[in-house]
Amino acid sequence: MSESAKNIIPAGHLHIMENVLDKDNLTGVSEDRALWAKDLSLPKEAEYTFFAGCGYQQMKYVEGMMGALKSAGKMGLGVGKVVGITKAFKKVGVNLTNITAKIAAAKDDPYTPILVSTINVLRKLGIEVGYLHENEPCCGSPMYYAGFEREYAGHANKNYAIFRSFGVKRLIGLVPGCTSALKHVYPRFVEGYDLEVQHVLEVVAGKLKETGYRPKVKKEVKVTYHDPCQLSRYLQIIDEPREIINSIEGVEFVEPDQEQCGKWSTCCGGGGLEATHPELSERVGMRRVEQLLETGASVILSNCPACDMQLAKTLRKMDADVRVIDLMKFLDEALEPK
Amino acid sequence: MSDVDRAELEKEITESVQRCWKCRMCVAMCPTYEGWFTQSTAGRLMAINLYIKHGMGSLEDLSNILYSCTTCRRCQDRCKELSTDCRPADTILKARQYLVRLEEAERGKKS
Repeated sequence: MSESAKNIIPAGHLHIMENVLDKDNLTGVSEDRALWAKDLSLPKEAEYTFFAGCGYQQMKYVEGMMGALKSAGKMGLGVGKVVGITKAFKKVGVNLTNITAKIAAAKDDPYTPILVSTINVLRKLGIEVGYLHENEPCCGSPMYYAGFEREYAGHANKNYAIFRSFGVKRLIGLVPGCTSALKHVYPRFVEGYDLEVQHVLEVVAGKLKETGYRPKVKKEVKVTYHDPCQLSRYLQIIDEPREIINSIEGVEFVEPDQEQCGKWSTCCGGGGLEATHPELSERVGMRRVEQLLETGASVILSNCPACDMQLAKTLRKMDADVRVIDLMKFLDEALEPK
Repeated sequence: MSDVDRAELEKEITESVQRCWKCRMCVAMCPTYEGWFTQSTAGRLMAINLYIKHGMGSLEDLSNILYSCTTCRRCQDRCKELSTDCRPADTILKARQYLVRLEEAERGKKS
């Protein structure tokens, strides 16, 4: 084992870690993360605190970041090989974060409205939540899955102190990755961790059942559901989204083969893999979309920013006339105000 | 990385691989598997095991093999269902932590 261990950590992962540690977000783009919530008048302290996560807040920049990382690979910097890619860019006078932000600025942002929809859905069901606004930290879970255990442990402890200082007791998460990290991984690193963490689908499904409320879509539609890995296998939330979808009037729900849905649903290849193996990620995405298209549905529902982006991108590439809609947005449109 | 940390991780990883039945159900489960064994769960486990035990393979290849996992845990659920106690996805994560520490140790040597 005398061989050099230099440059063995993929640059994509290092870039994300640098962003989390330096800027407390996924992409390194500093902007007001709470902009989406400015008209919602959410209090900072409440019985339940909504955890929005970087995912939906920053997704518009993630596509740009992936593009910048990919072009770095083409420039010979090797996405999977170069250590400290941001540093390498700075040396030649290029700021990766600026590129990231610029690519994004030209595009629409379909992701932040999903956050507003989620708050709408909760309100329509009679649940008021708080939100930490600009004080909400990044959970840092991509760091953990890339193997930076120590950095992650430090970050988790710092975040717990932030939650404590705002008197947070119960969290309602939206991004599957953040929620599962806050629920299952944080307790392993933070001593005395006592936050109660729920995913928004659990809350919504429970409330729909309790109230007997029947959402209704304006036009009949055939839908299928893609289970995000972190939801179905990490958090074991499999029945809840199905209960929600089945409760909506006017929706015909179809699913792929039982070995490809629920607990066994295949991964869409989005998220971390895209940062290190973009081509493999594309092929994984195509295989998943093919399974979903076989159902004949015209709408694919999902509930994860990375899945939403990956599926939509793959559908565009395959030129399929099928739309990806986030379950929260779909439900918001089907729920009449009380 | 201290030698104790390294030894601990090495032990945890190789012991997990030891528990593998080599049934290869995880290979069928892996979304990245396209025909090359090292693109699958079992292949990743074999690769890190051979590196730790016999120093086989290059670190660059090992990094590529381990970081091509999507961490979707489809393999782990199948493995659990077959009552094996190998926890393949957790073991791959440990192998990534091992790589991070190898790299840290290398950087420490230089500075």
